[in-house]
Order: sequence, then structure tokens, then C-alpha cells
Amino acid sequence: MSPPVGPQLAALSRRAVLRFARQPSSWAPATIFPLLLVAVNSSAMARVAEIPGVVPPGTTFLMFLLPAAIVQGVLFGGIAGGSELATDIQGGFFDRLVASPVSRPAILLGRLAGAIAFGIAQAVFFQLVLWPFGAQVESGPAGRLTLVLTAALLSLGVGSFAAGLAARTGQPEAVQGYFPLMFILLFLSSAFFPTQLMSGWYQRVAEANPITWMVDGMRSLVLEGWSWFAVAEAIAVPAAICVLGMVFATRQLERRLAVAG
Amino acid sequence: MTVAVGRRGVPPWPLIRQVLHRSATSLRRIPAAIVPVVVMPIFFTVAFSGTFSGLTELPGYPTDNILNWMVPYACLQSASFAALASAFALGRDLEGGFYDRLLLAPAPRWTVPAASIVWAMIRALLPLSITLALGVLGGITFPGGPAAVWWLAVGSFAVAALGSLWGLGVMYRLQRQSAGGLVQIGLFVVMFLSVGTVPLDLQEGWLPYVARWNPVTYVLDMARAGFIGPVGWSEVWPGLLAITVGGLLLVWWAERGWRRLVP
Repeated sequence: MSPPVGPQLAALSRRAVLRFARQPSSWAPATIFPLLLVAVNSSAMARVAEIPGVVPPGTTFLMFLLPAAIVQGVLFGGIAGGSELATDIQGGFFDRLVASPVSRPAILLGRLAGAIAFGIAQAVFFQLVLWPFGAQVESGPAGRLTLVLTAALLSLGVGSFAAGLAARTGQPEAVQGYFPLMFILLFLSSAFFPTQLMSGWYQRVAEANPITWMVDGMRSLVLEGWSWFAVAEAIAVPAAICVLGMVFATRQLERRLAVAG
Repeated sequence: MTVAVGRRGVPPWPLIRQVLHRSATSLRRIPAAIVPVVVMPIFFTVAFSGTFSGLTELPGYPTDNILNWMVPYACLQSASFAALASAFALGRDLEGGFYDRLLLAPAPRWTVPAASIVWAMIRALLPLSITLALGVLGGITFPGGPAAVWWLAVGSFAVAALGSLWGLGVMYRLQRQSAGGLVQIGLFVVMFLSVGTVPLDLQEGWLPYVARWNPVTYVLDMARAGFIGPVGWSEVWPGLLAITVGGLLLVWWAERGWRRLVP
């Protein structure tokens, strides 16, 4: 009889969260970069905000950038969380897990728990840190909670893709190579600059980028107030990324297990 | 003692050559690791020029061609990524024990960190070429003539070398691959707290005060000079001074870390 999955998952999740929390070099970049970018862009691009239509009257460019900070932090944190699986593979811990009667889904989900916990912590942290500087959320506590939920889903989705890549390559360096791709997706969106000020094909690509839809939903909650459409926009995209990411990670893990066993 | 005697008179080049060869082989064998080398320059050029194309509409922006402003910035950003990759590789070697074996090689010990720096500079050549080619395809202009490319190359190699020195110092102290994140923070901070997207005159708030003291601002101004207008000594000497002073400080930083690793 195989041991129950629940306690295994709890133990592996606890290990993942603690291991992640105890390594500042894993989570510090994903926390500092977004704050840095928000701080820099809100100062460098201040004059852009004076262009009519960029932000609604009574709001600030910092509020415009709040969703960008959350999404950026979560994207980077998700990669760091997922790449921990590669560290486990490289260090031999994964082989020991596989040799033990641990449930296979628990190996993956336990590892991703660190990414999810970090995503939630980041969404809360960014909102709290930027609040005193004027980053209000017009939709109130419900809107703030929606931002946290979006962050949690996105962490799971991005972490799954990173874990899948880790399972495929077994090398943290290769998983880190995934980071620039996330950066590309983020830049090719409305995260840092309004799409109405872009031009040509770049504008069309940015408007068709799902990250733009998600960020626009989050931004609407921040700048304009509560709307169910905005909530749906903010939730649907990370939910879809979750599904795709989990499928990818599961397949890659099965592939590695098949090769190993 | 025997090892120290054995190093005397041994030429440094064979070890440097072997380390460079190994680095190039690693780059080829890990396809995902080549992404930052090829994709990042393209990304920086396209993303900066595309996302912030509306900036040229701001009164007082130094050029009406966004590529002339963003391509040099993309080059230097990519060069910093070359330094970062070098730091990650160093972390891997330190963790895996390969670095210990390198230190036992019959060659002067300084050749080991020197090889990391040289590799970062060589690696920076690739993004420099890619970014410039993209710029030309996109319609970049060269008001400063060939000097524009020369000073851009000087800026790129300098950022790769200085970034490597920063990475060496961090990695020698922490001795693990995950410390690459801290190297990344340092590089990002200095690159972003500069005149990357907007010149000093158009910045508002706290940023211009910081950017004015950031050496990268002057290296960027130097690398960009030939894309904004004719290049004269007054456009490049602040950048050269920043590279010299920054180089001295970072050599000291890396050397102190090296002493912790190899007392």
C-alpha cells in the first residue's frame, strides 16, 4: 500500500517554501528588480504621464506601473521557484525522491509550492511598499485581493513551465535561460508603457499579447475601480497559463522518470 | 610550495586558451544557454525601440530616430548579460569543484580570473554585432561616422569587463551559482539608474540626481556619442574616466574576493 499523498505533499511543500525563503539570492532579484523598474520608470517617464489619455485624471503613473511590478516580480519568482527542481536534479535529491515511495505528482506540486507562496508574498509586498508613495487601488480591498489571486495563479503557471524545463534539462543555467523569454513577453505588452503610444507592428503585437490583456485587467482595477470584466481579464490569462504549464511540466517529468527508471 | 615553484616561467596563454575553448564548448552544448547571447540583443533592441518609440515625441529628446538612442543602450545591456553569464559559469565551476582543479593548473593563478573576463568580452562581441546589424536593418544612422561604431565597441567591451569583475567579486565571496542573482541585481541597477531611455534633462524626481553620479551614464554617453552627432574628445573623456576609475575599484573588489578563495 502506498503512503498517503497529503502528508508527502505537505512535507515537500514545506521544504520548498523554507528552502526558497532561506536563499535570498533566489528571491531577492525578483523582489528588487520590479521595485527598481517602477521607481526608475515613474521618474524617467514622468513627462509621458502628462500626455492626455495615458492615466485617468486623479491617478498617477506610479499606479499605472503597479500591475507591472506585480507581474514582473511573479514572472521572475516563478522561474526561480521552478528552477529549484533543476537544483534538486543536479544535487541528487531528485534521484533519492524517485527511489523512495513518494507520489510523483507530489514531487512537482511540492516544488511549485515555493513559487506560489512567493508569488502571493510579492503581490502583497509590492502593494504595501508602493502604497505610501501614492499607488492606491481604486477598486479597494476586493481589487487588491484579485491582484493577489492573479499573482498566485501566474506563479503556478510560470513555475510549472520552469519546472518542466528543469525536468527536461536538469540544469539550473538552462532554466535561467527562460528568464529572458519572460522579459520579452513582458516588454511586448502594455506593462511598462501604454500601447496607444506605441506604433506599427509593435503596437499590434503588444495589443495581441495575453500579458497585455492580463495587465490591462489588473490596471483597470487599480486605476478605474471594480469591474467583473476586468476581474475576468486579470484571472483568465494566468489560469490558462497554469493549465498549459502543468501539462508541460507533467509530461517532462514523466519523460525524465521514464529515462531514469 | 612545489606548485608555486612550478608556476614560474609558465606562459599564461595555454590555460586561458583552454578555458576559453571550454566556455565556447559549453555554450554550444547547452542550447538554452545561448538564448541570452542571441535573443537578448535582439530583444533589447526591439523592445526598447518599440516600447518607448513614443519618447521621441517629447520636446528636447536628443534624436528623432529612437534606434539611435536605444541601440547603444541595447548593446551595453547585452554586454552586461555576457558578464552575467560568465559569473553563472564561474558559480557552476565553483560549486562543482572544477575551479579547484583549474587552480591546480601549472599556470599563473591570475590567468584563471583573467580567462573569465576575456570570455565575457569575446561573448559581448556577438550581441554587439547582432544589435548593430538590427539597427542598420531598422534604419539607424551614423552622424559620427565610423567613430560611432568604435566608441560603441569600446563601451560594450568595457561593460563586459567591468561586469565580469563585479561578478568575480560576488562569486568568489559566495561560491555558489545562485549568487548569480546578486550579480544580476548589481548590473541591472547600474544599467537602469542611468540615461538608458531618457536623457538627464528630461528625467524628473530623484532619478537624475542618481544618474548624474552613475558611471554608466558617462559610458553610455560615450557609446552613444557617434549616433547623436559628431564625436569629439569632450563626448568621450568622461566615459573613459568612468571606465578607468570603475575598473580600478572593481579590480580591487574582485581581488579581495579572490583572496578569500585563495588565501
